Parts: sequence; C-alpha cells; structure tokens
Amino acid sequence: MKINYRQLSVMIFFSFISLKFLVLPSVLYLHSGNMSWLVVLVLMILDGLFAISIIDLMKKNQDSNINEFMNNTIGPVLTKIFLAVLALKFFLQVANIVKGLEFFVVENFYNNFSWILYILPLIGLTSFMMYKGLRNIARVQEVFCWSIVIGCIYIGCKSFSGVDPLVYLPMFKDGAVPLFESGYRHLSWFGSSTFLLILFGKVDFQNPRKKLCIKYIIFAIILVQFIYFIFYGLFDITSPTHTFAISDISQFTSSKSIIDELSWLVVSLWVIMQSIQIALYGYCLVLSLMYLFHIKSKIVVITFVNILIFALSYLGAETINLEQIFFTPFASIVTIISQYIIPPILWIGYMVRHRRQNKISGVKNEKTKVNI
Amino acid sequence: MKKLKSIFSPRKLIIWIFIIILIITVPEIARPAMSKTEAIVTMMCIDKDGEDIKVCTSVLTPASEKTANYEVYSGKGKTVGEAVENISLALGKSIGFAQCEIMGFGDNLSEEGIMSTLDFMTRTRRVGRNALLINFSGEVEKFAQAVVNMNIEKSLHLEDIMNFDQRYILSEDSNIHSFYKGYFSKISLGIMPKIKLETEDKGNSIEVQESATGGGSSNEPGSGSGGDSKKEYILNDGTACIFRNGEKILEITPDTMKKLNLFINESQEGTLTIDHVTDDLYDDASIILHVSKKDVSFTPKFDGEKPIYEISIDVTVLVEEVDEENPSLKFLKRNKEFLTPTLIEKTKQQVEKQAYEIIEYCKENKVDLIHVYEFFYRKQYKKFSEYYDKMQEKYLDNIDYKISVKVNSSY
Repeated sequence: MKINYRQLSVMIFFSFISLKFLVLPSVLYLHSGNMSWLVVLVLMILDGLFAISIIDLMKKNQDSNINEFMNNTIGPVLTKIFLAVLALKFFLQVANIVKGLEFFVVENFYNNFSWILYILPLIGLTSFMMYKGLRNIARVQEVFCWSIVIGCIYIGCKSFSGVDPLVYLPMFKDGAVPLFESGYRHLSWFGSSTFLLILFGKVDFQNPRKKLCIKYIIFAIILVQFIYFIFYGLFDITSPTHTFAISDISQFTSSKSIIDELSWLVVSLWVIMQSIQIALYGYCLVLSLMYLFHIKSKIVVITFVNILIFALSYLGAETINLEQIFFTPFASIVTIISQYIIPPILWIGYMVRHRRQNKISGVKNEKTKVNI
Repeated sequence: MKKLKSIFSPRKLIIWIFIIILIITVPEIARPAMSKTEAIVTMMCIDKDGEDIKVCTSVLTPASEKTANYEVYSGKGKTVGEAVENISLALGKSIGFAQCEIMGFGDNLSEEGIMSTLDFMTRTRRVGRNALLINFSGEVEKFAQAVVNMNIEKSLHLEDIMNFDQRYILSEDSNIHSFYKGYFSKISLGIMPKIKLETEDKGNSIEVQESATGGGSSNEPGSGSGGDSKKEYILNDGTACIFRNGEKILEITPDTMKKLNLFINESQEGTLTIDHVTDDLYDDASIILHVSKKDVSFTPKFDGEKPIYEISIDVTVLVEEVDEENPSLKFLKRNKEFLTPTLIEKTKQQVEKQAYEIIEYCKENKVDLIHVYEFFYRKQYKKFSEYYDKMQEKYLDNIDYKISVKVNSSY
C-alpha cells in the first residue's frame, strides 16, 4: 500500500522535528554557545534541500523500490555498501530516540520507573506498526500532527515572556570555526531526510499539491527555530543543564494555574510522537536489512530489530553510556554518507542511465527512420 | 515460519498488546498508595547547626480528597544528603522533593555557601528548577514550623508571598534556575529575598502561634511539637540578599531595593516621595507619586578607551497623595493636572539622585546590580573584554554613567 503525497509531507515534518526537542539543544550549547540556533538552521536547510532532491528522484522512479533502483543505476556492489550504511544510519536514529526517550520517561516523567516497563510496551507498539507498514505509520502521524504542532507552539508561547533576546549577543564571539566543528560533531541528530530513500516506490505522486512538501519543511524549520529561540532565551548559559528541552520549557513557570497542567498533556503527546518515529525509522531499518540480506520474511527482521532495541536499552541501563556513541566521528560519517553522499550519487547514476537510455532509444529511432 | 507468522498475525497481535498492558498495569494497580511510601515535601529549610547541617522539611499528608496536613520533620547530618537520609529513616518513607516549592537557606549556611546544597538538590533532579529560593533568619526548625503554622492559621502561603515579592520587590525570579544563571555568569551574582522570623512585632509582619501543630525530628524526637503558645512574627519587609560565588555577601535594605527598582523595567509598581514642592499649585507640599509605568533602557558605549553607560529612565507617574499644611480646595477639582512643571523638575532630580546613589552603592560594594557587565558584554563584546581584563573587579569604577530622566503624567 502506497502513501500519498500529503502523508509523505507529514512524515518529513515529523522527521525534521523529532530529534530536535529533547537532548540536542542542551548538548549543542556546550559547543556552539548562543549561536547554536544557526548550526541547527544551516543543517536543517541542508536536510530540506536534500529532501527535495530525493523526492524529485522518487517522482522519476515511482515503480521500483530502492533496492531495484540502486541495482539498476549504480550496480550491486555499491548498492550493498549503501544499504549497509543506510541500515546503520537508521539504527543510530532508532537508538538515539530510544535512548533519549528512555532517559526522559524513566528519569523525568515517572518516579522510580523501571526501564523494562518502558521498553516492553514500546517494542510492542513499534513492532505492530512496523508489521502493519508505512501507511499505518503515516496515518497515525497524520492524526497527531496538528495537536503536536499546536502543543509545541503553546508551550513556546507560554514561556515567551521570560525570553531575553540579549542572550543572542555577541554573535560569532569565537568566529565561525567552532560552529562548523559543532555541526560536524552533532551531525547524527540530523540527516532527517535519509529515510526518504527507503520510500522509493512507496509513494503515490498522483495529484500532488504543489510544493506541499516544501511548505512542511519550511514550517518544521520555523517551529524548531521558534522552540530553540525560546529555549536559549530562557536558559542562556544554564542551557547545558536542561537536558529535556521541551519539558523544561514547559516547566519554566512559577505560577500554578490549571492551564499549566496542559503542558504535561503536550509533553505526553510528544512522547507518543517519538514512539511513532521509532516505528518509522525501525521500519526503514527493517526494509534496508531485508534488501541487504535478501530476507523475505518481515517478521524475522522485525524480531531481530526488536532484540537490538531491547539490547540497546538494556546496555544503556546497565553498563555503558550509549549517548557517547552519537558524538563520535563514526556517527557523523555515517550521516554524511547517508545524507550528503548517497543522494547525489544516485542522481548521477540516474542521469547517466537516463542519458544512455536516450542514446539507445535515439539510435533505435534513427535506425527505424533509415529503415522507413 | 508459518507458526511464527500465525503468532504475530494482526489479530493475535492485539492479544499480545493486551498481555503487555496487563503485565504493566497489574503491578501498578497492586502498588501501595504513594503517600505510604513517599513523603511529599513542599518546603525545605536548611541551615548549619554547629558543624552539622540541619534540614527541616514540611511534609504534606493527604487527609481526604480536599484537605491535607502539613507537618515539619527535621534531620541532621554531616551533609544535606545525610540529613535527608535521616529524615527518611525516621519516617520510614523515601523523601520526594518533586513538589518542593520553596528552598530556604539560613544565614549561617548562606554565608558559608549554598552551592553544594543546590547541587545535591538539582543534580539528580530532585527539585524542579522553578522552586523558589529564600534566605531566612532565625532558627531553622522554628522558621519551618512558623511557615507551616502561617499556612494553617491564616491560609497564607509563603510561595504566594514570594511570587508577589518577585513581581514587586525583586523584579526578577528568585528560583533555582535564575540563581544558577547568575552564578554561572562571569560576575557570579545571585539574588534572593529575605524572610525574617522575629520574636516581636515590628510592623508589617504576620503573627503566628509558635509550635501550634505537631511535627517531629529524626534526631531529636518531639522537638517542634507541643510546647506553650508563644507568638512569632514572619516579616517580609523587602530585604534582599546578594550572593557571590554562592556565598551571601550583602543584604540590601528595603529602601535601597526601592531605589534599585527604578532601574528595572519588570518591577511593576513603586512610589516616589517629593518633598518641599512650592509653585502655583503647591505650598511646601510633600507629594507621593505612584509610578504606573516605566521604561528603562541601557546603552553601553565607548568613547575611545573610556566606557560610557547611558541610562535612560522614562517614568509615568500619578499624583497619589499631597501632604500640605493648608490644603486648598483646588485639589478637589476634577480634571486637573497635578503634575506641575516644578513637580516634574523635582521628580527628575529625585530620580536622578536615586539613580546615582544606586550606582555609588554598586561601586562601593562591588556588586553589579544594574547589569553593566551584561550590557557591555552583549553589545560591546570586544572592547569591553579588553577593558574587563584590565580592570577585573573594579570595572564599575571607571565607567562614565550618564543618566537621563523623562517624567510623564499618567493623567
């Protein structure tokens, strides 16, 4: 079952905002200070541009899936390598959300909450969604889309009066180099359009509303910038200590009005949204593994992915700090390859193939003309 | 494989989800009420007690759907953590600080430094960052008990008083978040209001019965409960405390706080008293002006190497009270503008005078209460960094302050 263009736009919107509202604002501040918003803006615009280019490529190849498309354009060896990199990228994205959400739910949302009680229902939910497929995920995202948008805007507006615009000065205090370094270091939180590669042949582009996707991308960038503006404006140099951005913004009030309780409703909605996002990236991971190892049974791969998620959660809870992995050059390189290298290569491959086909059809046409 | 598929068929998946929900919900339902295992702390007061640290907590116990009892429990230890642990042992419950709205620091601890205590409370997110911070005088246990008694006897909540205080006196938040913000800034200053516990009425205070309700101590059983019905007075006169590097260095009197409020846009109200006004309308009158609106702007500049701090104060006032020996009938006239040119001029002078007094106060005590560092750092970063590196703590002394005042009528 294919998803439609509107559902694809909503999916892109969620992917753009999903990893941005929890740990990223605080960790980013440590390296890029009050210019963190610029790092996010530049990387999100890049993500947006790559998303548009991938969608264009998808429109030109509506019938073949990514495996077939890559095999036809760049050959089986590169296909295998790229699928492996994509699988890694999706795994990192799943891991990032699972760990972030776990940290949030277990440490902050509940008191004395066991990680196993978090991971079991999450696995149950995401397995079901991965099994049911893309359309199911898209529909759920559509249902929650506007309530989450309104909720985020509400949380931001509620704390707006506490924002001190002066915190954004001085700009470029240490020059632009630390910003580039910071961007590179935090790349694993970006690459939000990589998942589109797996959706080749799964989107119905009939009667697409003009530029709907671009509108959603711009809206996502504005929403993220708005929340970042509020976050840094409120917390300034103490930002690194506020590890749960969205909930810390919502709690930034001394008043005790009933309307403040709504913030928790919004934060809960946001937790649900994150779970759906795990299902989406998990689904992409499942498909890339299926293509990579030629496995036909979806259930087997879903089970494998779930074991991975469980192990990840267990390891995180028991021994190692998995968050450190996201800061390593390894995670950044995976993002660079999957987000910034694979799409251009696919475009080049497509163009070369297209030209070759045109040449062949041109020669054929000439031959038929001569024959006539 | 077929078997596996049938186990995970969509219909059976619903059963799986149901089983998972059961696994989670049954233990949750079977759990004892949280109030049985956890003490809900709404306020904690901490101070030094000799070499030890004494922590007093106001614990909320839900009595019915609509009512709750507050009781004070205290504990002592070498560290805050140990003191809290002792309370926990005595109560047989873990201590939950998530609902803690106020953290009070006694004078002794404040002078020694409160950062390690704050660190303990916030590092593992025991207390929300919006918990209010206060400095208090008097014995820690008595203070905590008096606050609880005020709540029970008068239905007055300290957090409400403090919220009001933040708006009208301090003009900025006095919570963990803003304290940290000040602490981690380069000048490392923090501000918090002071609440005094007095044994006699000094006016403007709230009378409470000493030890009217029960309580207990983990180390000293029975203390804080029972006893005679002496009276105590909780006084919030607008005094504030300044902390540098987490240590209390200065107490600002209410008068100075009022003057300081002239510099702060956020302070919502204030009054100005202008003495000896004589013109066509007044005859040696003392006039009280209500400041209904304020617009203060700061412009940091450099004239060559010399830093200049321009402060523009735009106040909108209303004549609220006229104290004259022989008041004439003209004051009763409606639609009359009472803000005469002489009064405006005198008001300007008064505001300017107060502003310079505050600048001198800041220089004298080496405390930047008028955000000089902040504005220069933000708007003149390069030049100011060089200047600051040279001057260090004396940076306030060599700045030229230019004050311009505009007085408008809110009539």
